[in-house]
Amino acid sequence: MQPILTKRVGKPNSRSIETYLADGGYAAVKKVLTGGWTPEQVTDEVKKSGLRGRGGAGFPTGVKWGFIPKDTKGKPVYLLCNADESEPGTFKDRLLMEQDPHQLIEAMVVSSYAIKCRTAYIYIRGEFYLGARVLDEAVAEAYAKGYLGENILGSGYSLDITVHRGAGAYICGEETGLIESLEGKRGQPRIKPPFPAVSGAFAAPTIVNNVETLCCVTHIINNGAEWFTKIGRNEKNTGPKLYCISGHVNRPGVYEAEMGLQLKDLIFGDAYARGMKGGRKVKAVIPGGASANMLTAAEIEDCPLDFDGVAAKGSMLGSAAIIVMNEDTCIVEAAQNLSKFFSHESCGQCTPCREGTPWLYKVLTRIEEGEGRTEDIDLLQRICNQMANGMTICVFSDAAIAPPLSSVTKFRQEYEHHVQHKRCQVGARAALVTA
Amino acid sequence: MSSAPAAPPPPPKDTFTVVFDGKPIEVPKNLNLIDAAKLAGLDIPHFCYHPRLSVVGQCRMCLVEIDGMPKIQAACAVPLREGLSVKTTTEKVISSRAATMEFLLINHPLDCPICDQAGECTLQDNSFGYGQQLSNYDEAKRQFPTFDRTMIGPHVVADMTRCIQCTRCIRFTQEIAGTSELTFLDRGGRTLVWTHDGQPLANDWSGCAADVCPVGALTVLEFRFRSRVWYLHKTKSVCPGCNVGCNVSIESKDDVVYRFLPRLNTAVNDYWLCDHGRFLSESLNTRDVHKASIREGNDVRDAIVPVAIERAAREIRAVIEETGPSGLFFLGSAHLSNEENFLLRKLADHLACPNRDVVVDKSRVRKIKSQTEWVEGDDAAPNFRGARDMGLSPAKNGFGLDAVLSAKASPEVIVVADAGFAAFADDPEKVAQLRRARFLVVAARNGNALTRSADVVLPAASLSEKEGTFTNVQGRVQKFERAFLPKPPVRAHWEHLLMLATALGYGDRNWTPSDLLRQIAGEVPGYGAVKEQELEGGALLKKGDFAWAGAL
Repeated sequence: MQPILTKRVGKPNSRSIETYLADGGYAAVKKVLTGGWTPEQVTDEVKKSGLRGRGGAGFPTGVKWGFIPKDTKGKPVYLLCNADESEPGTFKDRLLMEQDPHQLIEAMVVSSYAIKCRTAYIYIRGEFYLGARVLDEAVAEAYAKGYLGENILGSGYSLDITVHRGAGAYICGEETGLIESLEGKRGQPRIKPPFPAVSGAFAAPTIVNNVETLCCVTHIINNGAEWFTKIGRNEKNTGPKLYCISGHVNRPGVYEAEMGLQLKDLIFGDAYARGMKGGRKVKAVIPGGASANMLTAAEIEDCPLDFDGVAAKGSMLGSAAIIVMNEDTCIVEAAQNLSKFFSHESCGQCTPCREGTPWLYKVLTRIEEGEGRTEDIDLLQRICNQMANGMTICVFSDAAIAPPLSSVTKFRQEYEHHVQHKRCQVGARAALVTA
Repeated sequence: MSSAPAAPPPPPKDTFTVVFDGKPIEVPKNLNLIDAAKLAGLDIPHFCYHPRLSVVGQCRMCLVEIDGMPKIQAACAVPLREGLSVKTTTEKVISSRAATMEFLLINHPLDCPICDQAGECTLQDNSFGYGQQLSNYDEAKRQFPTFDRTMIGPHVVADMTRCIQCTRCIRFTQEIAGTSELTFLDRGGRTLVWTHDGQPLANDWSGCAADVCPVGALTVLEFRFRSRVWYLHKTKSVCPGCNVGCNVSIESKDDVVYRFLPRLNTAVNDYWLCDHGRFLSESLNTRDVHKASIREGNDVRDAIVPVAIERAAREIRAVIEETGPSGLFFLGSAHLSNEENFLLRKLADHLACPNRDVVVDKSRVRKIKSQTEWVEGDDAAPNFRGARDMGLSPAKNGFGLDAVLSAKASPEVIVVADAGFAAFADDPEKVAQLRRARFLVVAARNGNALTRSADVVLPAASLSEKEGTFTNVQGRVQKFERAFLPKPPVRAHWEHLLMLATALGYGDRNWTPSDLLRQIAGEVPGYGAVKEQELEGGALLKKGDFAWAGAL
């Protein structure tokens, strides 16, 4: 497949507006704003394209836009671009923003028009200093060329975009946590309902979309929804997709492919990660960022990387961050590592998550360090089950239990080895005798 | 052709039918589900929910199952609707509550024997009701050692190791006090409540932050470690601090007042109490005047109360004989109950004396937030309005306090029904003006310049030692009850007044404050319409607790 979203990535001076315009940039803005499109037509086109959110949940974007009330009772509508890319293993949005910021800005103009928004924000992860700088410059360029600001291209439509840097919290990638943070409050998810489309930022109707999701909109407008639906495995999983692959592979990185790329192709294909480092065997794969359940080597057979394909394997595509672990990886250590992350990042408002995530980390640490007891393995499962399925306001705790729960279920024998032999079964610490 | 008139459309329903565990019940539309459940007789356990604070749904204790929703739901955050079906006793609900309890307790110090909250701790109660006895937690407990036993304001002590992060205190300072001193620091398992930038928690209602705390994380310095709460006797009373008349419960043991807690009255103080009023509780235990005394020249000697009363009555009779009743002056007090001020006025009427007045100190404006609005008062006593209602102002051809203090009037005998006014009774110039009278009768609890110069001093009871009614700034008549009896020979003001009245041929020695209230209801305009329910005021609360407002 010819790259679509990453077409200009790696090209010289790819982030300047001249490069973008020379490559046919801002055509979608012209088409929509000066071609007599109504906002509803834009939304319909996106609905028809079958575009699903690339941030993790895979919710149909056009449907989400349709949730904005017809009568907003005088309140403004906000579009927030979720650029708080913090899921461990994910680094696709960063690439899009740093390499091709105008693709995002154009998409935001078109999307804002569709939802009748006059003020949009890009909420960018605090650590993405370069991305924020690039976006700031690109926004300034777009203002100077008249693609942002008052009366864009003489159409009468006006839009302001503000780039807002986060302060370093994973939870601010959750859309209501993002909204709270944008409002200047502590980044804590809100109770839903009301959903942001009804009452979001500053209590006004708000749409929060991921960077990659928005970038797709430009191409849908330029090439038509039908073109978009032809890319991808089936009509439920359409469009191009960026896959972030990391771990024990020969060529980790971001790869663009059709939605539904086979996981094995991504790991072993010549166009992609080119196989396992040193020819080692695959032990486990996390297919959708730290929040996704691990897959075993057997489960990666015939696993199309799209929302429904990975869901059928009992995990999720999430942010399409594929983390590959080879046979020398201690699975307990991996789970412990991920639990440490979640324990550090819990916002602390809901009891099960605030108390449960550090507890999981403590138990995993004990097992990993050879202090574990047989009953600890069941305890891990029990703690996980006590944190999931509505026990908390947001799905953070459901995400936090994915690594320990899926690894205990699928690699229980390795946990038992830790408990019995007081050391790892494989990896650098396998020979290490503690205690 | 005419058709039968169409039946009028049924009035729009202002209730929802909500089904609790299969039992349908009509509940007002604007209720929270937790409060609605109370109407059905169900107690949904919770920590972070408070009826006057915004819903945050984060303690995850109030979990229930809702028909049509696959996941378990926090009851506080489920909007009521017609036909909502709530299940509170399913296995899933029970195990989810137990899970939340386990999570809450893993890091909570289980040292109830040395925690001052024990006995009125929601965590204790809910653990007992919905938790399990054993914990699977075997790691070191989290502690915030540098955030324990620390004053975060003039009255509130923080023990953050005990905090369960419910944010009630934070929301109180943001949403009720409007001062926002408190906030969360850090996140995840390290989250704790603290003040912004070390600024103290120093608003006028800081004690309420400790009230709303369901655990022992915020306690009040003045009460901390003074008594285990289960020994305290709760008495419905009214705060004497100002004329707002906040409903309080006097918490006492062995005839000593330990603290005031607010008592729910949505029309007055709601769930709140200001620090000024709250910490007056201590002052109820002070007393200098233990016995009656009579002055003979420069010689002051103790007397039994009947003798002191008779001495005062003799002087009054003498003045009436010599100069007539215009030589008398009766001074009531905004500290006294309606019954006491009424009795004083009736006595003056009986003696045909037109010279009467009432004294009150002014204070800065005190405010409390009722359910709907801020109520303000600027008297330093609870009952100025009631005293005026009882008729304590100069009658025709009579004079008042101003005339006495400015030497325009010179009464022979002055009866000061209560000397508890700092600004007045400790001012030597004002006392000197009163002292121009030949004979000065004073009832008092604490000594001051006025009692030291009086001819007869009567030992009078404190608020906790008597019963009666006050009329607050809104005109609301509120009853306060007696927490314990005064120690003889100390008597309530009304007893002293009744003894004096009977000695002068008025009244019946068997009258009680409730008899006097009946007389007031019959005589004083507006007081006949006071309802018993309004008199009673609000329900008793315990710290961290709330009663459902609709039950009033």
